[in-house]
Amino acid sequence: MGDGGSGNRGGNSNNSGGGSNKPEWLQQYDLIGKIGEGTYGLVFLARIKSQTNRGKSIAIKKFKQSKDGDGVSPTAIREIMLLREITHENVVKLVNVHINHADMSLYLAFDYAEHDLYEIIRHHRDKVNHSINQYTVKSLLWQLLNGLNYLHSNWIIHRDLKPSNILVMGEGEEHGVVKIADFGLARIYQAPLKPLSENGVVVTIWYRAPELLLGAKHYTSAVDMWAVGCIFAELLTLKPLFQGVEVKATPNPFQLDQLDKIFKVLGHPTLEKWPSLANLPHWQQDVQHIQGHKYDNNSLYNVVHLSPKSPAFDLLSKMLEYDPRKRITAAQALEHEYFKIEPQPGRNALVPCQPGETFVNYPTRPVDTTTDFEGTTNMQPPQPSQVTSGAAVSGSMPGGHVSNRSVPRPMNVVGMQRMPHQAMQAYNLTSQAGMGGGMNPGGMPMQRGVPQPHQQQQLRRRDQMGMPGYPQQKSRRI
Amino acid sequence: MSANFWTSSHYKHLLDQEDVDMVNPLDKERGVTLEDFKLIKMHMTNYILRLAQQVKVRQRVVATAVTYMRRVYTRKSMAEYDPRLVAPTCLYLASKAEESTVQARLLVFYIKKLYADDKYRYEIKDILEMEMKILEALDYYLVVFHPYRSLSQFLQDASLNDLSMTQLTWGVINDTYKMDLILVHPPHLIALACIYIASVFREKDTTAWFEELRVDMNVVKNISMEILDFYESNRMFTEDRINTALQKLTLRP
Repeated sequence: MGDGGSGNRGGNSNNSGGGSNKPEWLQQYDLIGKIGEGTYGLVFLARIKSQTNRGKSIAIKKFKQSKDGDGVSPTAIREIMLLREITHENVVKLVNVHINHADMSLYLAFDYAEHDLYEIIRHHRDKVNHSINQYTVKSLLWQLLNGLNYLHSNWIIHRDLKPSNILVMGEGEEHGVVKIADFGLARIYQAPLKPLSENGVVVTIWYRAPELLLGAKHYTSAVDMWAVGCIFAELLTLKPLFQGVEVKATPNPFQLDQLDKIFKVLGHPTLEKWPSLANLPHWQQDVQHIQGHKYDNNSLYNVVHLSPKSPAFDLLSKMLEYDPRKRITAAQALEHEYFKIEPQPGRNALVPCQPGETFVNYPTRPVDTTTDFEGTTNMQPPQPSQVTSGAAVSGSMPGGHVSNRSVPRPMNVVGMQRMPHQAMQAYNLTSQAGMGGGMNPGGMPMQRGVPQPHQQQQLRRRDQMGMPGYPQQKSRRI
Repeated sequence: MSANFWTSSHYKHLLDQEDVDMVNPLDKERGVTLEDFKLIKMHMTNYILRLAQQVKVRQRVVATAVTYMRRVYTRKSMAEYDPRLVAPTCLYLASKAEESTVQARLLVFYIKKLYADDKYRYEIKDILEMEMKILEALDYYLVVFHPYRSLSQFLQDASLNDLSMTQLTWGVINDTYKMDLILVHPPHLIALACIYIASVFREKDTTAWFEELRVDMNVVKNISMEILDFYESNRMFTEDRINTALQKLTLRP
């Protein structure tokens, strides 16, 4: 791996790193454009030039030097460290690491995945007027669990599972195969040097397990299973299950609203069902009266429109079990009856094997072809001729998306962060476009300022210009 | 990072003693002998330990840093990769890998405090550049398994987990990092060798316990002999000899 043996033997930095002067390792790729951005750096789409694997798509994640003058970011170090040890069909594959000594930047090259669950869910909600078919939901979930079971049996907790970190391969040999991505926050849970919560990690709160929200100091693999439960529900309803409003403060503020959203759907947790609840700091201190019994009834089946007797509901409620010790494990979930009944899960989650079943063509990722590897953007606006659509990226595209192709948009590849609440505006917007008018099955509180029709028009146009209702994302990662 | 040593890169990349004892041609040209080579690595192990005590990181970070340093010199020459820069940089990288990041400026501060000699003086920029070169030299394999992990389980199992045995064995394990054992042997066998030495020293009869273990006792005894040999020769490692060895690196062939 890397090019330690070829280009930079002895580590002499043999190029000046200027925009025009391509480092040696970079010459093995054709750069297509930028596909994502975060605090750690940028993500690019590139093609392999060499005879073997010619034209194969690669996602290249560039880590910037940290600003505080402290070398390679610990996040990058941990991600490399983990990815170098693990190989599994349902885990993203690190194919190369490159170092540019001139500007001290680090590049991780991954097999490129055309889709992710965030985009698939969004596409169904906004563009296709129906839910994701059962075969696809089940296959996606099974593969996600399969990858997670591998990680957990290797004592790795992901800690940041969310739809945008679950990638799905586009057309090709691995079409429709799920890949778990973004290991920047992943940890081993054997003998950690210090409680993991001390790292001041801030991740999306929507998928955060209740024990963490209540101040548990140590992570267990059960936190990943909670997130899988939330993702499962979101695949079924096309809406995040628990959309709490995040309290932003450092280092680890108490997220009352998120807990309230959970309690509202699942009912209040009780000491009988969850004995160790008594030891959790925020529960103990009864911060803002979380011990009060506002909600008694579990209304989960109502929210996800499943019969309480169905295997799907049984599995979901076992993933959303309050007590982390009782919560179903990935290994147990894979054995659940849900996966044994028809339709059975398959390797290509996007295309059902049964003839006659319709499947959806998901749009390809937008690529910003105006940005080079240095992250410098060409000032001239993209011309239609620069649009790289069909030729650049495999996978077919339904109409109406072509115009997005060359436009920068906050996209998610190998683990981009999204801002939950700005994204929420987009959801409400689309509850009309995608889900049909006033349907509000989960009794989700509507956002203040639900756009009026004329506002919607405006926002739609912005969407077409590449801003689908949420701003350029900023990561809150440490 | 995978918990399973047998599927880890660490296990797959264990080396033969001969490969570890190969002095890089560039260093050979400068007159560096195998003896010098070992001496410098031992000295750098002590350097990493002293630095670690200043910046207050745990033994596991030290052990990982020393392992990185020793792995680097199975591939790179000391002439090109100055040990006086590689040692602190390995500690820097290991602190990140083991989740107890130490700032580069803090290391630079303590380097100056520990060594007045200009040859040890490096700045933040040098450490950051070397960090990337080390990542490359390690081929980005950063997970290291250490004997400490199996130690407490073994001691408990053998009912030897009293304070005096634990401390003695722990100390012997620390000393094994002054040698290349971690590059050659699986860590649990190193732990067993250390228990063997400690139990002989404390006159505890562990024969029955060792017999019950399904491990190759010949390997364990060989490792023990190596450690004892090291203790024997350790007395002859003087400051002068180390300085002479280090001086060779700066000589033009």
